[in-house]
Amino acid sequence: MPASAAIPAWLPLAILLAPVLTAAFLLACGRRAGHWGAWLSVAMMAACFAGSLAVFLGGLDQGHWLGWHSSTVAWLAAGTTSATPGFGLSLGLQLDGMGALMLMIVTGLATLVLLFSTWYLHDDRDYPRFFWMFDFFCFAMLGIVLSDNLLMTFICWELVGLGSYFLIGYWYDKPAVADDTFYQGMKAPYATGIIESKLSPGDAQLKAFVMNRIGDFGFLAGIAITAWVVAGWCAASGHPATHLLSWDTVFAAVADGAFAKASFAGLTGTDLLTLAGVGIFLGAMGKSAQFPLHTWLPDAMQGPTTASSIIHAATMVAAGVFLVARVYPMLTPDALLVVSWIGAMTCFIAAVIACTQWDFKGVLAYSTVSQLGYMMLGLGAGALAGGLGAGIGHLFTHALFKCMLFLCAASVIHACAGHQDLGRMGGLARRMPITAGVTLVGVLAICGLPGFSAFWSKDAILASAQVAAQQRGGLAWIPYALGLATAGLTCYYMMRLWVRAFLGPERDHHVTHHAHDPWPRALLALLVLAPFSLQAVWTGSLNPFATHSWLDHLLAAPSAGLLSMPGAVLPSPALTEALHHAHVQVMIAASVLLVLGAGTALVVFWWLPARGIDAAARLRQLPPFSWAWTVSARLWGIEYLYDALFVRGLGKGAGRGLAEVDLGTPERLARLDGGGSRQTEPDPPSLDGAIDAGTRLVRWIGSAGNALQSGRINAYVGAAALVTAVLVALALVG
Amino acid sequence: MSVTAFILAGPAQIGGYLAVAAVLFALGVLACATRRNAVGFLMGIEMMLNAAALNFAAFDRFHVGTAAAAGHGQIMALFIIALAAAESAVALAMVYSVYRTWRDIDLAATSELKG
Repeated sequence: MPASAAIPAWLPLAILLAPVLTAAFLLACGRRAGHWGAWLSVAMMAACFAGSLAVFLGGLDQGHWLGWHSSTVAWLAAGTTSATPGFGLSLGLQLDGMGALMLMIVTGLATLVLLFSTWYLHDDRDYPRFFWMFDFFCFAMLGIVLSDNLLMTFICWELVGLGSYFLIGYWYDKPAVADDTFYQGMKAPYATGIIESKLSPGDAQLKAFVMNRIGDFGFLAGIAITAWVVAGWCAASGHPATHLLSWDTVFAAVADGAFAKASFAGLTGTDLLTLAGVGIFLGAMGKSAQFPLHTWLPDAMQGPTTASSIIHAATMVAAGVFLVARVYPMLTPDALLVVSWIGAMTCFIAAVIACTQWDFKGVLAYSTVSQLGYMMLGLGAGALAGGLGAGIGHLFTHALFKCMLFLCAASVIHACAGHQDLGRMGGLARRMPITAGVTLVGVLAICGLPGFSAFWSKDAILASAQVAAQQRGGLAWIPYALGLATAGLTCYYMMRLWVRAFLGPERDHHVTHHAHDPWPRALLALLVLAPFSLQAVWTGSLNPFATHSWLDHLLAAPSAGLLSMPGAVLPSPALTEALHHAHVQVMIAASVLLVLGAGTALVVFWWLPARGIDAAARLRQLPPFSWAWTVSARLWGIEYLYDALFVRGLGKGAGRGLAEVDLGTPERLARLDGGGSRQTEPDPPSLDGAIDAGTRLVRWIGSAGNALQSGRINAYVGAAALVTAVLVALALVG
Repeated sequence: MSVTAFILAGPAQIGGYLAVAAVLFALGVLACATRRNAVGFLMGIEMMLNAAALNFAAFDRFHVGTAAAAGHGQIMALFIIALAAAESAVALAMVYSVYRTWRDIDLAATSELKG
């Protein structure tokens, strides 16, 4: 792999470490780090972005991105003898085109979101705390992007989870929404589906953590299988095993058919590779909120909106997609089939829910889940159907417009004094025109209007899914159909969001009469992001029907190292032809669905209400719309199901059993003691005297030792340490 | 040695590691001997465990007896990490249970069995 000489070796490491050092410094400063701490974070992140830009430009070579790999440091070495080289784990940093672009996007978005947060949270009680948590998160996220091996990826994977945990629980002392009078006053009358007594920042962070544990169990199992097989392959083939889990070694082993020769727990060959790949994908499902592990992401909206904009919309949740793209050479056709099915189910299920969400952030949260499903659907189509480029492309376009939409949500919710109910907004376009305009750009981008970014990236996914369906046949058409249906639903719910919030009359004067555009620096963040919703930025062409983009070339560099499978991103001529046909069909279908979806939303929420017809309320009563409405508003019953099965069933059941053992045992012992053969006759005097004497002796010894039994564990530890020290000193002297 | 390698690999002599481990252990003992908060006490235990793990790793790196034993100390450090995780899970559950009974996690409050 030709490493780029134009990138200084220290620069990526500095980009990785600057956020964590800043975080440590701000944490040490505590409350003293007020506004200057926030601005320090902004400046640091801006410098990181400048560095990332330099890295990106340094690696560019005629539209391709050359690989870059730092020197590695041995971290663990075991089993090394003169006869066998043993195996080892090393740490290092590595970038390819995808990584370099992601580096720029993470640092760039983080800079803008931090800048926005200096306005959004400026009067918050815990203002300084937000910034060190945010910086810490950025460090972990950059670690995933820069990692050159599976293990470091896993470590940083857990650290982003921790960062997310911190930030979801930022308002840790807020009560559950069932006890929150402001929430109860502002929520829509028809709000259903969530379990209100179990939705607070504290519960939400715990839920995110636990859901991700389920996924990460699979991830760890996948890593373990990979390590086992790769270590065996290294021993057999003589390949140096000193960087056991590095991408280079793992992919070399996969390319050499190491898995075909290995066996593990009765599994052999491709099945083993599929198992490892699905295991790692399970980790991605947790982080990227894929069905059935998606329920934590909407709850995570309990955190500050600006944190959601980068963590739960743009970067961390996209890390799952990034990981799947990263381990792409490991994924067998069977594993890819799993990816595409999970992705398709996720994007459809979440899109249906988003259609009836009543609060601004809720729509965006489910929209994010849905779009992440889209990316997985694209990746699951397989490299030969162009799925890799499509999935990654959508990851990048989505990161920018969804981050922007969340910042718009922050502006709107701030302008409405914390109110989130779309039903009480309305007419905001007149009071905050710039926010309304930027939101519209984001909405059109996600809807995929020609000329906007998702028109290119979403159509690429659908085209790939169609080609994959042709290749696989049969049931494989279902994921494609679900993806297509989601395209229509997306246009509907996003247009509904915009129309309900910004158009029409003011529905609640108390909520909206103070609304205004945010401060200039927050507006600046929005306005910087807006152009990235345009297709031309991504395709490098003003022609909206151009299907190839600079991104494909960037990712397809044959020497880029990680993504260097032949035909990984640029498909063969025959498939290019098939893809082209699929593109045309998808473009027509998606355009029809765009008109249908967005048109329905405009008619139902704007045109008819303007004529005095509350179409939404009427449709809600009318079967079959009422059935669909119930399914959607009750979140497919998934929350209730999980609560009944796991929280109340398994959790409470097991908990009650253990509590019975824990708290019941002393009682039972006490009963045993008192309930034994109770003597009514007095003992003979001689025996009595002997026993009394014994008791007196025991009592005397007891009271003598009493002084030692202070019950203060600190004293015990101190005494033990002191005695040990004296003994050691004696041993040394003697 | 480049700056990168130093940051990732640490000092090249065993003395540095042992000194850090000793300080860490002493601080852990001090925390256990003085902290009245149960969580602070547990943190002290964690520090002592980590000091031991650091010693294992350092001795493995610099004082390997036989070539076949290379890496055993590092594996032991991994075991200690796993053990420490299990220990804190159990201990925190106990602290939580204590809190539910006494409404306090001050170690002095939970001394009903004293003589």
